[in-house]
Amino acid sequence: MRSEFQYRRPASIDEAVAMKADLGTTAMYWAGGTDMVLHWMRSIHSPELCIDITRIEGLRGIEIDRDSIRIGAMTSLDELDRSADRHCLLNTLSDITKLMCTPQTRTIATVGGNLCNASPAADLSPAFVAMNADAVLAGPKGRRRVRMEEFFLGVNKTSLSGGELLEEIRIPLNPDLKVVASYRRIDRTVVDIALVNASSCISVDSDGVINGCGIALGAVAPVILRVSDAETLLLGLSVRELGRDREELQKVEELSAIAAKPISDVRASAEYRRQMVKVMVRRTLQDCAIQLKA
Amino acid sequence: MVNLHVNSRNVDLDIKPHRTLADVLRTEMGLIGVRVSCSEGECGSCTVLVDGRPCTSCLMLVNQGEGKSIVTIEGIGTPDDLDPVQEAFIEEQGFQCAFCTPGFILTAKAFLAENPNPTHDEVSVAMSGNICRCGAYPYIVRSVMRAAAKLREFA
Repeated sequence: MRSEFQYRRPASIDEAVAMKADLGTTAMYWAGGTDMVLHWMRSIHSPELCIDITRIEGLRGIEIDRDSIRIGAMTSLDELDRSADRHCLLNTLSDITKLMCTPQTRTIATVGGNLCNASPAADLSPAFVAMNADAVLAGPKGRRRVRMEEFFLGVNKTSLSGGELLEEIRIPLNPDLKVVASYRRIDRTVVDIALVNASSCISVDSDGVINGCGIALGAVAPVILRVSDAETLLLGLSVRELGRDREELQKVEELSAIAAKPISDVRASAEYRRQMVKVMVRRTLQDCAIQLKA
Repeated sequence: MVNLHVNSRNVDLDIKPHRTLADVLRTEMGLIGVRVSCSEGECGSCTVLVDGRPCTSCLMLVNQGEGKSIVTIEGIGTPDDLDPVQEAFIEEQGFQCAFCTPGFILTAKAFLAENPNPTHDEVSVAMSGNICRCGAYPYIVRSVMRAAAKLREFA
């Protein structure tokens, strides 16, 4: 039997956090609700109070300055899609949204909701991890920043605690470096979730030398995996080497496959997933090389 | 009490908040052109326009529609004065059983407002969130192309 609940629409982050603090676990933050409605209908969640945070101005919008891109947690996937021409990383994120759910659900679903649902197969999560993003959390004790790869603790588990909500995502930018990113996944068709996914983000200096590298894997462990040892191998290489069959690239693929801890299920076997990790990582790096040449 | 603005009409509804927008539009307001099929946001039958954008109303709480302009299939034309998109679907027979048609028409209407001169492929992608179990897709794409031509004529 699905629960009956009251509905509130706080006007500010502080007001939302105070409401949640008052009522504790029986109150739930509600974003676009595209996952929450299903969880409520299936009684996975049985809230007594729904705190609709979608209209809080401080949680909305995308801003770019010298040092970072800020994406408010209540930015809809549709709004993120429309930000493509504002920055090359937003262009990558925009392409990702087009793979997610359906056009008429992307108008409701939010970036923050997708992250807080913490699906290991989520499409945006590996990209944010590869981009070195931080999650900014707001709670009764103030704000704190968590590295994106530390935000995810398990299937549907995040590091949000004590009545915190996700306020925004911060992607760091270095004005002296050129940055590009790519995301790839294996799926059957649209409205599908990834069997395996991966994202890479590469920064190069004015000489085309790789100065920063992020590689993240999804759907091959309970959390998004960051392959730090593989990233290190690429630092100092020229971007021209990225498209070629270099020893470092094969090693990056191997380290990624070793890092992956996939399971076998109805959708794919662990062996297949592990093999595909290599392919996805290679393709994301090739995509980055192509973008950097352009 | 929930206040909704639906098809240019303001209504106050004395209902509980834990209801979906699709459910309230159908059962409280009799707008049965809002079709509920999968109830999971995958089939697009329940598509309505919220501030001009297509939304799966089966995934929205009724309160999330407050303060916004909601348009259902009942709000875009009448049998005597059809919307050009509705005309195009009839002329190209863009349906078989027609259960999914309101969702397709509303999605098409929002899409054509932004892209008045689309390609076949762009139409297919734009309609990818609506499922037609009869499989009338080729006719549906032709209907949307015809609707685009009609709307360009009006413009």
